Amino acid sequence: MELEIRGLTRRFGSFTANDGIDLTIRPGEIHCLLGENGAGKSTLMNMLYGLLDPSEGEILVDGEPVAFASPADAIAAGIGMVHQHFMLVPPFTVAENVMLGRERTRGLGVLDRKAASRLVRELSERYRLAVDPEALVEDLPVGVQQRVEIIKALANEAKVLILDEPTAVLTPQEIDELMGIMRELRAQGTSIIFITHKLREVRAVGDRISVIRRGKVVGTAEPTASEAELAEMMVGRSVQLVVDKAAAAVGEPVLEARNVTVIDPRGHQVVKDVSFVARAGEVLGIAGVQGNGQTELIKSLLGLVRPDAGEIWLDGRDISRHGPRQSLEDGIGYVPEDRSHDGYVGSFSVRENLVLDLFRSERFASGPALRLGAIEANARQRIEEFDIRTETMETPVSALSGGNQQKVVVAREFSRPLKVLIASQPTRGVDVGSIEFIHKRIVEERDKGTAVIIVSTELDEVFALSDRIAVMYDGRIVGTATPDIPREEIGLMMAGATDTDQAGATGATGAGTHGTGGGAA
Amino acid sequence: MKKTARIAAVATMVALSLSACGERETDAGEDPASTPSESTSESASADPSQQFPDFKACMVSDSGGFDDKSFNQTSRQGLRDAVEAYGMQEADIESNDPSEFNDNINELVSQGCNSITTVGFLLGDSTLAAAKKNKDVDFSIVDFAYTDDKGDNTAPANVKGLTFNTAEPSFLAGYTAAASSESGVVGTFGGLNIPTVTIFMTGFVQGVERYNEDTGSDVQVIGWDPESAEGSFTNDFEDKNLGQSTATEMINQGADVIFPVAGPAGLGGLQAAQDNDVKAIWVDTDGCVSAEEYCDVLLTSVMKGMDVAVQDAVLASAEDEFSNEVYVGTLENEGVKLAPFSDDVDEELQATIEDLKQQIIDGEITVG
Amino acid sequence: MSDPQKGPAAPPVVDPERVDPHEAAAAPRRRFDASAFVPTVVDSVLAVVLALVVGAVLIVFSTERVLGSLPYFFSYPWDFFRFAGEAVGDGYAALVNGSLGGADALTRTLNRAAPLICAGLGVSLAFRAGLFNIGAQGQMLVAGLAAGYVGFTWDLPTGLHALVALLAALVAGALWGGVIGLLKARTGAHEVITTIMLNNVARFVVLYFLGLEAFQRPNSDNKLSPPVDDSATFPAIGNLHLGIVLAVLAALVVWWLLERSTLGFEMRAVGANPDAARTAGMSVPRVYVTAMTLAGVLAGLAVTMTVLGQQNSVTDQVAGTVGFDAITVALLGRATPVGTVLAGLLFGALSAGGLSMQGAAGIAPELSQVLQALIVLFVAAPALVRGIFRIKGRGQGSSVEAKGWGG
Repeated sequence: MELEIRGLTRRFGSFTANDGIDLTIRPGEIHCLLGENGAGKSTLMNMLYGLLDPSEGEILVDGEPVAFASPADAIAAGIGMVHQHFMLVPPFTVAENVMLGRERTRGLGVLDRKAASRLVRELSERYRLAVDPEALVEDLPVGVQQRVEIIKALANEAKVLILDEPTAVLTPQEIDELMGIMRELRAQGTSIIFITHKLREVRAVGDRISVIRRGKVVGTAEPTASEAELAEMMVGRSVQLVVDKAAAAVGEPVLEARNVTVIDPRGHQVVKDVSFVARAGEVLGIAGVQGNGQTELIKSLLGLVRPDAGEIWLDGRDISRHGPRQSLEDGIGYVPEDRSHDGYVGSFSVRENLVLDLFRSERFASGPALRLGAIEANARQRIEEFDIRTETMETPVSALSGGNQQKVVVAREFSRPLKVLIASQPTRGVDVGSIEFIHKRIVEERDKGTAVIIVSTELDEVFALSDRIAVMYDGRIVGTATPDIPREEIGLMMAGATDTDQAGATGATGAGTHGTGGGAA
Repeated sequence: MKKTARIAAVATMVALSLSACGERETDAGEDPASTPSESTSESASADPSQQFPDFKACMVSDSGGFDDKSFNQTSRQGLRDAVEAYGMQEADIESNDPSEFNDNINELVSQGCNSITTVGFLLGDSTLAAAKKNKDVDFSIVDFAYTDDKGDNTAPANVKGLTFNTAEPSFLAGYTAAASSESGVVGTFGGLNIPTVTIFMTGFVQGVERYNEDTGSDVQVIGWDPESAEGSFTNDFEDKNLGQSTATEMINQGADVIFPVAGPAGLGGLQAAQDNDVKAIWVDTDGCVSAEEYCDVLLTSVMKGMDVAVQDAVLASAEDEFSNEVYVGTLENEGVKLAPFSDDVDEELQATIEDLKQQIIDGEITVG
Repeated sequence: MSDPQKGPAAPPVVDPERVDPHEAAAAPRRRFDASAFVPTVVDSVLAVVLALVVGAVLIVFSTERVLGSLPYFFSYPWDFFRFAGEAVGDGYAALVNGSLGGADALTRTLNRAAPLICAGLGVSLAFRAGLFNIGAQGQMLVAGLAAGYVGFTWDLPTGLHALVALLAALVAGALWGGVIGLLKARTGAHEVITTIMLNNVARFVVLYFLGLEAFQRPNSDNKLSPPVDDSATFPAIGNLHLGIVLAVLAALVVWWLLERSTLGFEMRAVGANPDAARTAGMSVPRVYVTAMTLAGVLAGLAVTMTVLGQQNSVTDQVAGTVGFDAITVALLGRATPVGTVLAGLLFGALSAGGLSMQGAAGIAPELSQVLQALIVLFVAAPALVRGIFRIKGRGQGSSVEAKGWGG
């Protein structure tokens, strides 16, 4: 089927999120929708899926205008959507999840599980999805859960499949697999709208690329376009994709982890005997698939969790028993992995968030009273310096775009003298323009002689910033390398293959990936 | 709550009557369905000298509210009876908490009430204060008297305490319970350990003791010990479940007559008696009237004539015969009494009780 | 005012499309978020308006004269409307008269508002620190006992006596509240459970003490303390006692604390996002203990209005229902000091005016309580109110919600 969008506009009050968007999705094509966070991609898709009413414009299916009052209408019209955040019931099996909401019964209200299983198996085989209908969703890796979402859409006989930032939660190997699946779907006639802001991906899999900026389609491109060209269309100016940095002037060890072990509340060892040294003037990148102990490791560095064994030393002092307040005051800068959860208070204004861990200092408080003037001056200065796009300094941070939220966190942590900067996922969900900016600031901090520890699941980022790379898998550091190592090798290490285990990805199970061994040396 | 029921009933009525397309009455005020159904005006006096259309009789409840199925409600019943019988005007204010007492009384004063009845000892201070300021208004207070160290009345001329020697009928109830018990154990419990409650329980215990003396038996009372002033209390006058569990516990300990002195919470005690096939004695009102569904387990009830006392006080005020003399309801003036016995109480026992009652009236037995 | 993020008036700032994966993923594991219960100014005002409308209907259908005109409604419809109009008019006139008409009425309103404001501030303060303090009632009871004991036992000069009694109440309230904070901080016990339990415990503590000779009047076994000495009662002009002044001062202090102090900054941060607060080096347990202690102090202040202000003796009902009404007041006041003062005044007026409605207009005493209950109901269900007044939701969020994930 052919899906056409004509002049689609959506306003929120005085704000126009989508402005006269025209788009045609042809049968059997992968149409990439490229744009920064906040460009209006999700608004557009929510209108296509019946979650939002357009203010103006129309949607046509095979030339006929349609109106979707709810997702049910959109589904009936053959549109399927895989959200960023999966809509699955974890304790149910795959088959049960697929039949949820469209339960088939055999007489007397008995659920026809067999039919559902059969359907899942058929779809799985037909599109080579390799999903076991009887597996419990909670036991499945994220990549497979995503495929369950795809099966759900296919079970509803979707002809157009919307994938909203599908790669954000995947490992490099899983991304490759997803691309394979997308090609397979295309081959069998399903159209795909692939929403992303990652340039590498659109070039790898797209048939056509539409770029959205500030609610408008600013152009279309062929997959042969260079990353620089695409980035420029997306951001509206030329973007430096490679971090420009000089060789590191490595100094003394500043932060040292010695045989750190962390046990989570459920009794699992999540960090296992990890040791490393972060030196002044150097960026140490910790790569790894989400959930391999990085979160707990850096929390223990700040004192948010106490290591159950091992020690953490800062400048020759054991700080293992220190709490976060003392560690912050000792000069550790901390950009948490999940900014909305740990990094800022959403209902607080930009002004307040900019002093969230500084308000006690003499600069911002005199006795029990806050120095409002100083806090405001600070806000004005940081907003300017970090180019935080906010209406006023009183705007709640929750109303900012992801990139600007992250800038608030980064600006705060960079606004005092640091010995160590620990930044986890510093650019997750951040638009290209802001990524460039944040990366630049991190390198500047390094050049000031700060020891920098970057934790990222994005290989590009790790390679771009690090002077040294450590890879974490299953709670351990399974290897260290310099950035000149081939990506594939790091990818394998992230999947659990150690340096000595070059045989491939066969050992990758559990929290790791179901790697197909693609790209093994 | 009653209001809700009334509104519901009225809504139904409206629906019915709209379809019937009724007639306008000459005086569009009277609505038969909404005359208080609980009013049992026994003496609708037709004597014009007994009518006081300009007299305003008023009442302030304590924080239990007028729908407490207990002393607030019974007291207001007395007010309503007076208002109906003698053609008076009426105004009531319900208190939500003690900080409102002063305001509530003052509000009624400012609305020109001639007589204000307050309900419960908690209003003692507020009533006294208002009475001192408003000498032309007659105040009466249920369950309270103003006395000095020697027990002499200290009330100003325009305040009347209405008290009840409920120990007297409770004594008879205790005797009845002991005589009716087969297990040799009877139980009582209160709503709260305060004098207006425990006076019942003490009389009850004394009645049982008297029975033991007279017959040489050894009937035990559980739930109250007048010596140590300790016993079983629900600490709540509303929660039926508490009353039920307290009574069930007593029945498990062998009690086969239960005497709950806990207002509506005591209804749970009657429920427990019914469930376990034992007997009970109700308080304040005749249980066979106010809690008809439990009539089959009741031997009798200890009646506390708050309605009568209030009605009398209001009438006295209207007739300019008000005095500050403390009213004490006794068996003699029938301010307190036993309700008619059930068939489970044989004639011989009834005769004994009648005899004891006379002895109390004659002062041969002192109770309390 | 101090809360620019709320309210439909605020433009949907910058970015309706900020659903990045982490936020989406974070949403389901968000803990109990007290701030989700805070209504907007518009919600609060509409709730009051709507409650008055429903109240009018209730007045109409519980007035006998109006009902009497219904059987012949089709013959003389005007009777019904006239009587209904009069009933509502009389009722609300009495409400306004009894609360605002004249010095006595105003005094009554202010005296009733004062404890509501103080206790409401206690609830608000805890609320801002992310704690649902249902325990104002218990804190008030214990504090009332302490104030009363000092008031009727100790022998001190006028003024100083009141001050000492007041301090006794504040300390007792602080202890009773602080225990809850401590339980939460140390053991993670949920404050809703512990406050409710401690409310009961407080009542029995008070009953126990009132059973002791030292707390009773001579020659009386009633659970009623002697009256507080005159030297310990608040100064008053006419009947208007110091309470409302203390309440307004308390509101100012709470405002300063929340908006201008480092402690308030911490409390608000912990209340809005304890994880971020912890990551920023704040001690969440310490904030919990502090907030509950201060909430107890404010509840203690509230009860002095009753014990030292006008009632002058202690019973187990000394807190009335103020401790619970305070929750409503705090919610209606959006957990801000100014809002709490306004809501407290409104409830004080409803209570004072409700009295006249009962006495003068003969309207059921339940009505003023029903009005309060309706306000709570409408505040708790903003979607309902907004639906009735056809107010658009707050940007994308609510329209998505309204349509649901029907797929």
